[in-house]
Amino acid sequence: MQETDINLLVGGPQGGGIDSAANMISMAFSLAGYNIYGIREFHSNIKGRHSYIHFRIMHERPKSLKYPVDIMVALDPDTLFEHMFDVAQGSKVVYDSAFNTFNLKNARMITSDTMTRIQDELAERNLTFDVKGVLDYFKSAGIDVIAIPFDKLINENVHDGPANRYYNTLGAGTTLALLGLDEDHADDGIKFAFKKKPKVIESNIKVIKAAYDYVKTSPIKVATLPTYPATPRMLLTGNDATALGKLMGGLRFQTYYPITPASDESTLLESHEEMKFLKNADDVVKKAGLVVVQCEDELSAINMANGAALTGTRSATATSGPGFSLMAEGIGYAGMTEIPVVITFYQRGGPSTGLPTRNGQADLLFALNTGHGEFPKMVISSGDMEECIYDGMKSLNYAQRYQMPVIHLIDKTLANTMDLVPEIDVKKVKIVKYNENTNHENFKRYSLDTENGISPYGVFGKDIFWMTGDEHDELGHVTEDSAMRDKMMEKRMQKLVTADKEIPLEDKAVLYGDENADITYVTWGSQKSLLLDTISELKKQGISANLLYLRMFEPFPSEYVAKVLKNSHLIIDVESNMTGQAAKVIRMNTGVNIENFILKYNGRHITLDEVLRSTKNIMEKKTALEVLQEGS
Amino acid sequence: MQKGVENKGKYNFRNNITIDWCPGCGDFGIVSAVTQALSNMNMDPDDVVAVSGIGCSGKTPHYLNIAGVHTLHGRAIPYAVGVKLSNPNLNVLVMGGDGDLLSIGAGHFVGEGRRNSGVKVILYNNSVYGLTKGQAAPTLPLGEKVKSLARPNIMGKINPITLAMASGYSFVARAFSSEIKQLSSIIERAIKHEGSAVIEVLQPCPTYNDVNTLDWYRQRVYKLEDDKSWDPVVNKKEEDEEKFDTGYRKSLEWGDHIPIGIFYENNTIPSYTNRLAGIVPDYLKYPPALQDVSDKDGYTIVDPIKTFEEKDIE
Ligand SMILES: Cc1ncc(C[n+]2csc(CCOP(=O)(O)OP(=O)(O)O)c2C)c(N)n1
Ligand code: SF4
Repeated sequence: MQETDINLLVGGPQGGGIDSAANMISMAFSLAGYNIYGIREFHSNIKGRHSYIHFRIMHERPKSLKYPVDIMVALDPDTLFEHMFDVAQGSKVVYDSAFNTFNLKNARMITSDTMTRIQDELAERNLTFDVKGVLDYFKSAGIDVIAIPFDKLINENVHDGPANRYYNTLGAGTTLALLGLDEDHADDGIKFAFKKKPKVIESNIKVIKAAYDYVKTSPIKVATLPTYPATPRMLLTGNDATALGKLMGGLRFQTYYPITPASDESTLLESHEEMKFLKNADDVVKKAGLVVVQCEDELSAINMANGAALTGTRSATATSGPGFSLMAEGIGYAGMTEIPVVITFYQRGGPSTGLPTRNGQADLLFALNTGHGEFPKMVISSGDMEECIYDGMKSLNYAQRYQMPVIHLIDKTLANTMDLVPEIDVKKVKIVKYNENTNHENFKRYSLDTENGISPYGVFGKDIFWMTGDEHDELGHVTEDSAMRDKMMEKRMQKLVTADKEIPLEDKAVLYGDENADITYVTWGSQKSLLLDTISELKKQGISANLLYLRMFEPFPSEYVAKVLKNSHLIIDVESNMTGQAAKVIRMNTGVNIENFILKYNGRHITLDEVLRSTKNIMEKKTALEVLQEGS
Repeated sequence: MQKGVENKGKYNFRNNITIDWCPGCGDFGIVSAVTQALSNMNMDPDDVVAVSGIGCSGKTPHYLNIAGVHTLHGRAIPYAVGVKLSNPNLNVLVMGGDGDLLSIGAGHFVGEGRRNSGVKVILYNNSVYGLTKGQAAPTLPLGEKVKSLARPNIMGKINPITLAMASGYSFVARAFSSEIKQLSSIIERAIKHEGSAVIEVLQPCPTYNDVNTLDWYRQRVYKLEDDKSWDPVVNKKEEDEEKFDTGYRKSLEWGDHIPIGIFYENNTIPSYTNRLAGIVPDYLKYPPALQDVSDKDGYTIVDPIKTFEEKDIE
């Protein structure tokens, strides 16, 4: 039997219930034993502008997304215009029949650049600048257009509140019906999505029924979808997973200044300040709590986290590019004074405020070079939910062990990816404590009497010591002595050598796939799973490929990376930036020069079909640089 | 250092590091007042943390026998708040210049008023940037020309007391670095006060400020408490409006007569630590710094399933 593989897009106005629709669809499918992988895209706007969810549904766990989608649901006319080319022959487009008369120039919420672009596309095909034009295009391209009388179906079935309140449920319900998912699962999905608002469940179930009845009585052909036993899983985003990992890793103090896409992590932690979810809480402390502080700015956020670390508390902050820029100073201070602090860095499209709600991976070199002067810092990166969780734990561990700022890179795509995560292994990562001071009389916080560069850690309330961002002696007092300067610099930098020795290779770089392959992809961050899917897809086509996946950039696994790449035939670097930053880091550390690139910097996630297409072009030597442009 | 000894003055809060301030600098008086206050209160050195910014003032923690952090320019307050909130049992003193706290650190100065976390800010006011050689600090009046300025000051001045009151600090005072006894008693009162405090200390900088000299201040300062009817303390919410108003008006006085003493003390505003205690159970007993984060085998005590109960599927 062919594995079910459905790619789905639900678009509508920001604030128009897209999230509930997404939750409902995910729940319905997961209860039917499926896996979901999805990404949320939205404008930097609160209400009105176009937003959408791109989903993939499989029984096996999907790791990437595909265009064209198999079914697209338009909860507003903008979706039809914006995603004209995200559907292809054989796809279904579901929309509200009321949109039929809608003109492009009335689409207030489409930005003018996008509108011009859509007009050009329509003009090129001699189509009218309205929904009819787009529909004509769909029909000519062999796409099934299904008009649903939204208001009529809703008004006939529910009577509380305006009809548009139920557009999302009707859209989701129609989709599930068209895909052939059992109606009971759809109902369960609704119950789950509205768990916190039980009052609205009943009317939403009526809307689902209306959707199913409509599809059943229409001439549309629907196959039934197989169902499987559901297994326990958690529906997490990258933000959720990282927050969870940090909590598991012992986080007790988090600071932040609101910024997209980082705030969600802190908001979630804030709602868990009262930690009611400890195992055997009584054995440890009666009650434990986490302190989350919304600061006046990012300068405050990093320095407050630094301060908290000095009492022995595991502390962290989370931000994205603009905030990280402000934190550079405080990160340098943590490096100089050897403070264990974690900075979770959610990358988004830059420079400056750039594309505030869109993806980017252009802050790798910035993270590596943050702060003036030379000091040890660690830069790690996560690429999927499990890594977000375990790296969240490890980042705190690394900070404690090596007494240095740990920068944990995540990209917006990963932060906003929804994925069903099976069981989490609570024993996978052991909690590492800092190297405690035992000499309270004459405590040398920066003792040079250490081979690995790690001096005993001091804790305010127990130890008396001094700290300064100036160069200092073993006690922590300011010095400008030339010999002491050398020794302190060497001691601090030694910690990176130690970390490199102690941290297992699989936490730094991993080669997925056959050692000997025709193509070697190099990537980091959210493209990990996408490229894993790419490799299996290519295998089906008889092409062998492997993936050198990078997880740690400082200390960098130079030797291993050099070894892998020296044996590779065709190396392709895949990143969401314009300059191939990871390739630069590789060249800097190993001398290996990567020549082929698949890059995307329009702020949207990379899809499987894009990589496959670009790979072919590179293999056929049509080009060495593929710039990807899909996405709305 | 021995702990647990009850005698007053048992601990020497001044260490043996050589002080490198200019002779005659007002900062010496501040160090004396701080050590006197800690000693009078019979503080355990382990329980006090000094946090400074950058500048001549920023060097202070190195001269004290308590844990000390000499942080970045302007950032002493956030740093101190991090220490305080993760371990509210500690007494946290912030020491910064007027440049540090009111220019580069102004946002934090205001932010801390809103938080009222319980840190005590000692603001060294010499109206100049000492360590960068005498430029105009935010407390220098418009048109004033101190020694190293090429032309008279082109910017207006901030009044630290009015700013502190407007920002929400629940304890606001001014002292003079040569009136060590009064300063040390204000520090003691500030430490005993639950919320955050600002103590502006008028501090001569004989090297760069040739206008506000020691004598200039001596001829002008007078103590608020010398007026027996002066009562800046708010113990009931109803008293606030009037006392805030009186303190605020008093803070505007400057020139021939400069008041020193406590302008405003409000004991009815809960501190951030107390507000947190209302959210996080047992926060004061088990603050973040005193919690265990792993079980006896070193594994996490967090149950991932229970954490996001609303997010699992069965
Ligand atoms: C970010 C940053 N900018 C500038 C400086 C240079 N700097 C050192 S001390 C100082 C002024 C300190 O003045 P103030 O806070 O009034 O303290 P004082 O020296 O008068 O005690 C400045 C601007 C710095 N260290 N860091
Ligand atoms: S420059 Fe001024 S403030 Fe700095 S130490 Fe000298 S006298 Fe004191």
